[in-house]
Amino acid sequence: MTSKREMSLDYTLELQIPFETEGQASIATKVLSPDPILKPQDFQVDYSSEKNIMLVRFRSIDDRVLRVGVSSVIDSIKTIVETIDELS
Amino acid sequence: MTLPVALYSAPDGVEKNFIPTPDDPRYLTTEGRTTGPSDHVLNAGQIDRDKPSDPKYTADGSQLTYLSQLRTQLTGLQDDINEFLTRRMELAKNKKKAGAEEKRIQEEINQLLDGGDGEEDAD
Repeated sequence: MTSKREMSLDYTLELQIPFETEGQASIATKVLSPDPILKPQDFQVDYSSEKNIMLVRFRSIDDRVLRVGVSSVIDSIKTIVETIDELS
Repeated sequence: MTLPVALYSAPDGVEKNFIPTPDDPRYLTTEGRTTGPSDHVLNAGQIDRDKPSDPKYTADGSQLTYLSQLRTQLTGLQDDINEFLTRRMELAKNKKKAGAEEKRIQEEINQLLDGGDGEEDAD
């Protein structure tokens, strides 16, 4: 059931990240998925991957919360990319 | 290589696509303009220990590795998104401020029209 509060998460951003391989996109998705959202009533993130593309969908109550959440997740994704690049 | 992209959408109908331009210098660095400590903090002597590593080059040194290109493009894309959302936040803030000011003036006008002179409780 969708709560009334969740209905208001209508500031959205969809991010598509093309990894070099399907395996890398899958790893990045699995690494980030367990991260808890501190205020799920204000901000939600969904991770998925399709072939070598990682898909991240953000939903937020306003631009301010969206900015903080999106930038934080991109920071994490850059760290994952940097790590795979260093180890490969 | 395929580029990382983003699509923003807001309830006021605004939509924006974010697509990096591969040759633009802002998409060729791992040091973002909107991330990390501010210049003020760095000038005060703070050392940025979380600074991202420089991008890696292929074995023959001819170009960046695929993942390093992805990281530099993500850095530029992140800056674009941060700057865009910061502008949107400023607009919303100014709109709110203007609304409050308009309300204050309207209340003042209403008070004058009602003959309010602050003496209601005098008798």
